[in-house]
Amino acid sequence: MNAGILALRVDGIEAGRQRTRRLRFLTYAVILIAVAWSIEVIVVRDTDWTRITLKSLLESALRFTQLDTSVVPELWKPALETVVMATLATVVGLVMSIPVAWLGAANITPFGKSSYAFGRFLMTMSRSVHEIVWGLIFVSAVGLGALAGVLAMAVRSIGFISKTIAEAIEDVDPKPLEAIRAAGGTKFQILWFAILPQIIPVFVGNMIFEWDINIRRSTIMGLVGAGGLGLLLFRQMAMSNYGGIAVVILAVLALIILGEVASHYARRAVI
Amino acid sequence: MQAVLEVKDLRAGYAEREILKGVSFTLGPDDFFAVIGPSGAGKSTLIRCVNRLVEPKSGQILFNGVDLLKLSYPEMRLQRRNIGMIFQEFNLIERLSVMDNVLSGRLGYTGTLRSILRMYTKDDIAQALRLLDRVGLSEHIDKRADRLSGGQRQRVGIARALIQNPKLLLVDEPTSSLDPKISREVMTLIREIAAEFHIPVLCNIHDVDLACDFCTRVIGLQDGLKRFDGPPAELDKAALRDIYAMEVL
Repeated sequence: MNAGILALRVDGIEAGRQRTRRLRFLTYAVILIAVAWSIEVIVVRDTDWTRITLKSLLESALRFTQLDTSVVPELWKPALETVVMATLATVVGLVMSIPVAWLGAANITPFGKSSYAFGRFLMTMSRSVHEIVWGLIFVSAVGLGALAGVLAMAVRSIGFISKTIAEAIEDVDPKPLEAIRAAGGTKFQILWFAILPQIIPVFVGNMIFEWDINIRRSTIMGLVGAGGLGLLLFRQMAMSNYGGIAVVILAVLALIILGEVASHYARRAVI
Repeated sequence: MQAVLEVKDLRAGYAEREILKGVSFTLGPDDFFAVIGPSGAGKSTLIRCVNRLVEPKSGQILFNGVDLLKLSYPEMRLQRRNIGMIFQEFNLIERLSVMDNVLSGRLGYTGTLRSILRMYTKDDIAQALRLLDRVGLSEHIDKRADRLSGGQRQRVGIARALIQNPKLLLVDEPTSSLDPKISREVMTLIREIAAEFHIPVLCNIHDVDLACDFCTRVIGLQDGLKRFDGPPAELDKAALRDIYAMEVL
């Protein structure tokens, strides 16, 4: 390439890079303006700023600091119930997730596009309904109590667990599958020996993660009468007992920290 | 002639396992060294100690008279700009274009803000284009790196190393991911470019034939120790048996 052509091409490249750069800046600017506008509309304009003073903020914060320890003896049973509910819901959700993942993984779905679409529909359905709404549905179906909470969380768990399993199945390395197929393996053997070992880490990791999330969920299921600590929280709120609310929130926090620690060790042990 | 690289009694590894057990050699300005040896002999560790991608335990690495092991991290970073590296698996950024991959070799000279905005100087772009033309890829500059064949990808890797204007090239198994014909083409290109730009080369290579055909001097490593150091002509069956610790047919 002689010097003239080189200079010409460099100018062309430079101009092209400048164009993409401008386009990129423009995109950033548009995003920035959109964010600023959203803040203006939903936060700045929609808030009664005269109502908020430093004094009112401090006062409402202070209300929560006078802990009401008389609530403590009532905590133990629902706290235990919360953990048991979360664990049960995760296991039940997992069992229900396996067939859904099987349907919703494009590379192994049994009846082509129709079963794939059905699997994906189930996943979306599970995720698009809030756990509190699932809770309401199951409370009206099986009555008040922990069973409704477990079912609500289990159904809500399907969405995440089956989606991640299905995507892990779609992303497996096809080489081991080829080897098992070449050795004369059946479809089930391919699934068991070539796909399963590859998705186990994702599978276990996400299950622990979902359990962790379910502990959080089960602390609020009581709001709709579906058992656990939420019921206690709801009662304290109804009585406007801020000290009691604070104690229940601290208990929830303690449970979540415990769950965090437990999932950390579980993850290390399994993966 | 002053040595470009002087390695003295280099040791590396962990407490339980020593990988390099005291290796010394001297690389002159026009040298093209091949480091050969069985898997696990410490070839890759040796080359990575030179630019401190692997932190050695003790010894000296004099690069144009500067002891690299005594440098702080910011000082070492500045020295790394003078040392180009070519990798076994090419180590390209797959989602970026060929041009941006080559330009990434200038990152050591480009400020953080400018690099985020991908504002490389016009000189850098001109140099990138010249090098891409030299390695035969000037028609592919806008392609994404993952669209290229193995040989082409390694050529991008070579151009990326050269745009640093390096005073030394570290080459780590450049042909292991390539077929025999492309391997020879890539080795030929590296040798030609080394001569053209007067850059000495330290090259790991497990293929003894390629080592002998392309390099001026061979270092044989076995289990962290240097077992051979001489021109390819002296590398006979006895020497190979010694390096690989087995019968050579």
